[in-house]
Amino acid sequence: MVSAIHAQTKMTDAEALLLKEKVKSQAAKTNTITSNFVQYKHLDFLSNDIVTSGNLAFKNPDLVKWEYVKPFVYSVIFKNENLYINDEGKKSDVNLSSSKLFKQLNKLLVNSVKGDMFDEKEFDISYFNQEAISEVHFTPINKKISKYIKAFHIQFNTQGDVIEIKMIEPSDDYTRIVFSNRTINNPLSDAVFAH
Amino acid sequence: MRYLLTSLLFFLASCASYQQRNNFEKQEVLDVEITNPYFSDTSKDYVYKAKIDFYDKSFGGLFIVKKIAEAHHRVVFTTEMGAKIFDFSFHNDEFKVNYVLDEMNKKILLNILEKDFRVLVHENEKVISKAVKKGSELFETEIVNKKYYYLLNGGSLNKITRVNNGKEKVQFLFSKIGDASAKNIQILHKNIKLTINLKSIN
Repeated sequence: MVSAIHAQTKMTDAEALLLKEKVKSQAAKTNTITSNFVQYKHLDFLSNDIVTSGNLAFKNPDLVKWEYVKPFVYSVIFKNENLYINDEGKKSDVNLSSSKLFKQLNKLLVNSVKGDMFDEKEFDISYFNQEAISEVHFTPINKKISKYIKAFHIQFNTQGDVIEIKMIEPSDDYTRIVFSNRTINNPLSDAVFAH
Repeated sequence: MRYLLTSLLFFLASCASYQQRNNFEKQEVLDVEITNPYFSDTSKDYVYKAKIDFYDKSFGGLFIVKKIAEAHHRVVFTTEMGAKIFDFSFHNDEFKVNYVLDEMNKKILLNILEKDFRVLVHENEKVISKAVKKGSELFETEIVNKKYYYLLNGGSLNKITRVNNGKEKVQFLFSKIGDASAKNIQILHKNIKLTINLKSIN
């Protein structure tokens, strides 16, 4: 609803190029990210979005830990084609190597954390300004992917850091993740990603 | 002779109703309905952390129920990160699959889930018979041609059991009950290795 109030305008080609360069250079010098997040799951028939929150840790090139703290304790680590899950103390893992599709979806999720998804072979990309915030819409070209995700909408601040990710399903229901207290290149031990 | 007697007793025992075998005493009923109040409020979003154990596989996620209107519910299961696994609509006797992940799109599995979730969201049904035992009431009813027993303790619904030929097939257990909602719900299958555990998170 908020986005309807703040009008979005399309970026000029020059602005879009500038943003792309900024995000790419920011991503290139990012070794670690830690951040808090709040996740809003929107299902059209619900009265309210389902709100969960927790912490994110990223370490170059492809280690991600997604940890929910409220209203339940649950974490998932993305590491070497595996998902390591800790569900309120109960540990399990899922190997993705047999499923090309899940590997691709996973890679997208990891890339979206850095915001660097500017691959025109994979996405139709459009650029918008919304006051000081830049918003980029990535629409997957591959039908196998678009069956699961219709579009990623990623918001960047003026430094080119990701501040919000919205993953929209073909039904138009979506998951919106808002980051806060994002810090870059603080030392992050491998132990954070141990199962 | 002893063998004959034993088999006769066994035969008689298996003829006894589900209510009698659980030492309940039958009572007369006239035009009574039994109510499951746990998903009956259209203003509420019912959100549960779910764990589904199916044979050697275990899935976690969020189980979401919304009453859209009278006799109309939406039942959705997503991963913790928000990806939809299934999305069903129950409207009167109709069942509609709005979405199901390809890996789960198996008729046999969908049939089981349809039957289970229909019972969960089904609100009112005519009582066929009633039996009582020390503060507990057991109501016999039918949902889409299957026999169910509703167990009420001190007036609140604690258990629904699907019974076939006198045998328990599926149990629905409701606990931590308050404010017309059950914070904990368990669905236990007796003839297949399927357990669904739900813990309310809102």
